[in-house]
Amino acid sequence: MVTPNVKLADSNIIVKAEKVNKHFGSLHVLKDVSLEVRKNEVVVVIGPSGSGKSTFLRCINHLEKINSGHIYVNGHMIGYHDRNGKLVEDNEKNIARQRAEIGMVFQRFNLFPHLTAIENIMEAPMRVRKAPTEHVRTEAERLLVRVGLADKRDQYPNQLSGGQQQRVAIARALAMKPSLMLFDEPTSALDPEMIGEVLDVMKELAHEMTMIVVSHEMGFARAAANRIVFMDQGQIVEEATPDEFFRNPREERTRLFLSQILH
Amino acid sequence: MYHFDWPLFLNYIWPPTAFQDPLIRNGLIATVVVSILAQALGVVLGLFAALGKMSKLDVVRLIAEIYVWYFRGTPLLVQMALLFFGLGVTHIYNFPDIVLGSVIITGALQAGTLALGINEGAYMAEIVRAGIESIDPGQMEAAKSLGMTSGLAMQRVILPQAAKVIIPPLGNEFNNMMKTTSLMEIISAGELFFGFNQVNARVFKPFELFIAASLYYLFLTTVWSIIQTRIESGLGERKGIERGPSMTQRFFRGINSGTGVR
Repeated sequence: MVTPNVKLADSNIIVKAEKVNKHFGSLHVLKDVSLEVRKNEVVVVIGPSGSGKSTFLRCINHLEKINSGHIYVNGHMIGYHDRNGKLVEDNEKNIARQRAEIGMVFQRFNLFPHLTAIENIMEAPMRVRKAPTEHVRTEAERLLVRVGLADKRDQYPNQLSGGQQQRVAIARALAMKPSLMLFDEPTSALDPEMIGEVLDVMKELAHEMTMIVVSHEMGFARAAANRIVFMDQGQIVEEATPDEFFRNPREERTRLFLSQILH
Repeated sequence: MYHFDWPLFLNYIWPPTAFQDPLIRNGLIATVVVSILAQALGVVLGLFAALGKMSKLDVVRLIAEIYVWYFRGTPLLVQMALLFFGLGVTHIYNFPDIVLGSVIITGALQAGTLALGINEGAYMAEIVRAGIESIDPGQMEAAKSLGMTSGLAMQRVILPQAAKVIIPPLGNEFNNMMKTTSLMEIISAGELFFGFNQVNARVFKPFELFIAASLYYLFLTTVWSIIQTRIESGLGERKGIERGPSMTQRFFRGINSGTGVR
């Protein structure tokens, strides 16, 4: 059922979005958004609230439907398949299989409150991948060490700080060994003193993972991004390396936005 | 001046002597067993109806809506009579007695349990739905983003959390259920109230006997309230949910009275 896209000859392209449009009722929230993300690239998407950046991110793993356009991840069209030139939404199993390859980290963490930290991490590998328990546990423990929370393995989410919860959430997403990680404003719900610990984990991850990060953290963007995408009013206004972007923004809207947040 | 028959009254409120009468002994057993079975059936049906109401398929949703609409919108007493007498006369199903060794489960008892359970399912559906809807939608999104189908997410993520919200009202429903079993008297199902009614037919002491009967129900609901308080405080300690009303609140403020007779 998964239709490989023959046009995607370059296997280094992890994400390819083509003229994606999305409406919420009469609101046109994404307007012909096109974007390519290569393997191991870290793309930070910034923009004012309501610019459509989170919505776009949520379309990439089909948490939101799109009205037109195509999104490919690893060469497979996400959420839809082509039937005689018409896009038809995939069945749930197929969508779930595709999502398993795409990790997502949410603004509000969304850890499962009835499970401990390690159980949160083990849940999907065990139930979705049906991997053997011992193997999954070893892997989960390794991930907890990696996010610096080995001592919190048996704590419930409500016993953890926001920063710790978000680090568990990152480990939970990584446990599925995704080829792409999506971060939806991962530090926006955190107290200022906890932002650093989450960003540190993300910076570490940025060396080896393909990532799309919706964030207002300009420090992170400068340090870890290969590319910055600026969105406004449902459109990609400007794409540039961090250096160019901050030093010499081309578009007037970008300059205005930067002047509002960088002072 | 009415002469209160103390010896008869005491004889019938004191279990060792009351239980010598099989009508009372078997009636009490039937009331407890029927309550448990009917409530269990109600929970299962309620779960399916709640999930059905949230289904993407119009047909499934319609069936669930009609089920809840009908069984909440008509009296249980009428439903019970319809099921037992109505189905019997059509010969669709006449509820034959089931014999298990020395125990006979009468057709009326089966029909009564079924009616109570089906009716309860319609009420449980709303309780379960409210429980599911109380869970942050972010939980479903997180589960889906990890590759779970909505069925798996429901089973592993949503329902375990919703259970904590569902258990307190479920306890209240069971309390109600034990009292509501007395409606089975009209189909002569042989539960507790039927037993006392039969004794009354023999000795004609309705005042003494029905006070005695009421005390048995009071005993059952009180014991259940104690168990329920334990369960809820246990839940609260482990998973951090709000505490239910205290024991005194339960007994004297009518928190358990629920919706009364249906």
